[in-house]
Formats: sequence, C-alpha cells, structure tokens
Amino acid sequence: MKTLYIFILFIIVVCAQLFVPSQMVFQQEDVLKTGTAFKFKTQPVDPSDPFKGKYIFLNYEASTFSTADTTWQRNEDVYVTIKHDSLGFVQVTEVTKNEPKSEFYIKAKVDWYNEFEKELNIVYPFNKFYMDETKAYNAELAHMKAQQDSIPNNTYALVFIKNGKAVLDNVFINEIPIAKYVEK
Amino acid sequence: MNLKLIKELPELIENKVISKEVALSIEQYYHSKQNNSPNKLFMVFGVLGSILVGLGIILILAHNWDDFTRSTKTIFAFLPLLIGQFFVGFSILKKKSATWKEASGTFLFFAVGASISLVAQIYNIPGNMSSFLLTWILLCLPLIYLLKSNSIMILHLVFITWYACSYGYSFMNYGNSPWLYLALLALSLPHYWQLLKHKLDANITSIINWLVPLSLIITLGTFVEHEEALGFLLYLLLFSLFYNIGKIPYFENQKLRRNGFLITGSLGIVTILLIASFRWLWKDIIRIDSFQVQELYMSAILFLMSILTLVYLYLKHKVKSFNIFQFVFVIFTVLFFIGINNEIVPAILVNMLIFALGVVTVKIGADKFHFGVLNYGLLIIAALVTCRFFDTDMSFVLRGLLFVGVGVGFFLTNYYMLKKQKSKTNSLKQ
Repeated sequence: MKTLYIFILFIIVVCAQLFVPSQMVFQQEDVLKTGTAFKFKTQPVDPSDPFKGKYIFLNYEASTFSTADTTWQRNEDVYVTIKHDSLGFVQVTEVTKNEPKSEFYIKAKVDWYNEFEKELNIVYPFNKFYMDETKAYNAELAHMKAQQDSIPNNTYALVFIKNGKAVLDNVFINEIPIAKYVEK
Repeated sequence: MNLKLIKELPELIENKVISKEVALSIEQYYHSKQNNSPNKLFMVFGVLGSILVGLGIILILAHNWDDFTRSTKTIFAFLPLLIGQFFVGFSILKKKSATWKEASGTFLFFAVGASISLVAQIYNIPGNMSSFLLTWILLCLPLIYLLKSNSIMILHLVFITWYACSYGYSFMNYGNSPWLYLALLALSLPHYWQLLKHKLDANITSIINWLVPLSLIITLGTFVEHEEALGFLLYLLLFSLFYNIGKIPYFENQKLRRNGFLITGSLGIVTILLIASFRWLWKDIIRIDSFQVQELYMSAILFLMSILTLVYLYLKHKVKSFNIFQFVFVIFTVLFFIGINNEIVPAILVNMLIFALGVVTVKIGADKFHFGVLNYGLLIIAALVTCRFFDTDMSFVLRGLLFVGVGVGFFLTNYYMLKKQKSKTNSLKQ
C-alpha cells in the first residue's frame, strides 16, 4: 500500500517534470504560428553556454532608444512598442513601464541609461541564437564579413511577436538562413 | 573492508591470543554483516555512471543538430526525461534495491535539466541561469523523499549553492538576496535529520556533515548587500554557530574528521579573528551608516541561534568546562560595536582573544592526547605572531625572539606529549 502512495506521488512529480518543458514548447509554438514577424538588424558575436551549447549572441540596432526620461532602473521590466518601417524592419516607437494598448509590443528589460547620449539600452529576451557547434564560429566570421559588405541591412533576425511574447525564429545573412549560409 | 582482520585470524590463533571458536564467530559475524549491507561499491559506480551518462546526453544534444527539424529535436529533448522517469517508476513499483533507486534517480535529475535547457535551446530562449536552476531544483526536490536518495540530496545541496551564487553574486541582481535558497535548504533538512537519526555512522552522513556548512559559508556573502562591515560580524556569528552545533552530541561523539561543523567553525573563527587583529580593519572598514539593514537582523538571528544552541548544550550537560571558542561570538559582537567608534581597543582585545584561543586549543589537545589539536593550537599562536610581524614597530630582535619562543613551544609541547604517551603505554604493558 505504501509503495502505491509513493508511486502516485511520483506520478505527480512526473507530470510536473513533463509540464514545464511542454508548456515552454506550446508557448513558443503558439507565438511562431500565430504571431507577427518582425526583422531585427543584428551584430552577433559567438560565445558558449554550459547546458545549451554554442550560440551566437545577437546585438540589435533596435536595442537603443532615444529618450529624455532618466528614471530607468537597471534590470527593470519595460514594454517596447514596435512597428514595421517601409523596408519591413522593426522600428521602436515607444518604451513604457506599463503594458501598452497597442498590438505589437515586447516585454524586455532595461540594460542601462546613457545620460550623455540620452539613450536607453534595452535587453531583448531573444538575444541568443543557438547553432550547431561546428557552425557557430563560421557563422560569426560570415556575419562579420557580411557586415562589411556595401549592401545595407543585409543581416537580420526574424522574430515572431504575440501579446508581448517574442520568439526568435532564425537569423538571415543576405536573405539566406545563417546555418545554410555558413555551409556554402 | 574487514578482510585485513579476517586474514590475521590464523596468526592470532597460532599465537594463542584467541581460541578457534572465537575466530570462527568473528568470521561469521563479518560475513553476516556483509550480506546485510547492500554492495556500496556497486552503488557508487551506479551513481557515477548515471552522472556521466546524464552529462554526456546533455553535451551530445547541446551539439544542436541542425539537420533535424524543430519537432524531431523537441522529441529528442523529451526522450532522456521519459527514460529516466520510466526507470525511477520501475524501481519504486518493483521495490528495487537502493542501488537502483540512487542510480535511476541521479539519471532523472540530469534528464530534467537536460530537457528544459534543450527546449530553451531549440526555441532560442536565453532565460537566466538562476531561474533555470531554480526550476530544475524544484522539479527534483520531491525525489529526495520519494526515493530516500542520498545522491540526489548531495546534488540538491550542490545545486542550491550554485543557484544562490548565480542569483546573489550576479551583477544584474545587485541588491537582491536569494531567500529562496534558505527555504530550499530547509526543505532538504528532514532527510538530513533522518540520516543523523538512523545512519549516524554512514559515510554519506559525514559527507553531508561537510556539505551543509560549506554551502552556508559560500552563500552567506550573497545576503550582505548594504553594510559590508557587518559581513565580518555575520561570518563570525555563522562560524560560532557551526562550532556550537559541532558540540551537539550527534556530532561531538564522532571522529573529528567527520565533524564538518566543528572544523569549519573553528577554522572560520580563527581566520576572521586574524583578519580583525589588524588595526587598519577597524580604522578603515568597520563603519556603519545605517542600522536599518537586513544584515543587522540576520546577525541578531544568528546570535540568538548560537545562544539557543549553547542553552541546549547546557541543559544536556555538555558544557563541562569553559571553552572560550563557544563564547567567542558574544565577545566579538561587543568588540564589533565598540569598534565602530574606536579602533585601538578592539584591535588589542582581538589579539588577546586569539592568543587565549590558541592556549585553550593547546590545552584541549594535551588533555585529549590529540597531536593534531595540540599543533593546531600552536599554529593559531604562530599565525598571530606572523601577523604581528608585519604591522608592529617592534625591533627585529624582539620579533626574532618571539618566533624562537613559538618554535621552542612547538618542540617542547610535542616532546612532552610523546613522553607522556610512552609512559602511558608502558604502564599499560606492565
């Protein structure tokens, strides 16, 4: 009888252990399927994570926002309202501390406020793009080279947005997914 | 383990130290004992194997196979988790041995971390380390009790320490303390209590005797946020509490090396006091701007806990003779608050205190016939002299004489002890 109780409790634990990653999967899939795509111009570098492997760290051009407001706290939650510009890239229209009513916004964190330039630096919750470990370093090199090309806006990240949640789908160099681009 | 003894039995019979019957019953006793206890070596290798396989799977999947589609990768992320859960469920239902439970539990522990981090990898969720560790720890905490697993207990202690460090020492979380760490530690203590009650002599218990104080020492710094000077007081209070806990019969009656609380406590007290024996510390560091801080409340709590432990020891008649180590926290707390306005008095008194501790330790060592403790006491005095070597205006002759004095002390006390020991064994022989 006692074994049965322990087993029932264990089944509850199993459910919790399965629930956490499943719920992560469903949330992300939902945003990818029903969210709206935005292109973020990038400048990646290549580090490594002990559990998740190699990734490229993405620096977005949209991570600075000019504002005269100086009351930002480090690591504070903020809502970044965005829209598409004429070329389909993202444009930040407003950064607020309360959830905005607009359709497209991202929940992000404050990095720091540059008082000299009067610029707010934002950390987006999609600044890492995980890659095959053999490709991550080449991706970094390829990206650096592409940045030096004369064509403007040639590297960007494709991000899906829904109700403040954002999922990074892929990174493109000259309209080719970065993993494919590296293989060439 | 007792093979050596059994091998020596024939020699003992030959020399007529014991009779054949006695030898036989000794042999039978150890054989029956061996059959009752599960194969420890097998368990250790089982757990080590699980750790290696678990970590290996994390690494293989971290390669991030680009050729698979997102859904295939997601299935692979869940696979180790399901395998681990199956084996743990199997060992519970079939009432398998402790070896099974420990090994499958350890594997499941790593599988939980692997699946969460892989899903995060597949969907490019950066997350932060401390919240990831927290989820992982919480999802595996019940396994300690469901499997009565010691290896998960050890992993739990290591991971909550990691969590507290990554949360509390991180630059991004400046001004926040990992209070949840204390809750997580408290949640694992009932298992530790069971071990102390039923398996006091097991090796696993002595490992945890060390891990618990070490974890607390590493993480205490994360609770120092505003008044760093109070960190000194906090650490000394923690070490004193450990020392007094180490005097509780559960720990005191064991071999010294198994008593992690006593050793970390004693070493910690001496280290903090040696730092506090320098005048510059009181002049430049010990300064408090505000008394309305969490460090002060925590100091008060630790102080109270030390007092309660002392009262408990007193009621159990364990405070036989006055041991200044057990009361250091009271003296230092008074000195600390004098030190806020005065730099000379506490520095001098701390020097005297360390000297007293050294002498007391030498005396304990001599009384107990313990060479280690005796020399530890002499080392305390030697360290004190070395510290003073650097910052006093004593003449070189005087400093030299001090060193010679301590050196001679080492020789004389050890010689005296050896002689005493010899006479004791001689009297036993006669």
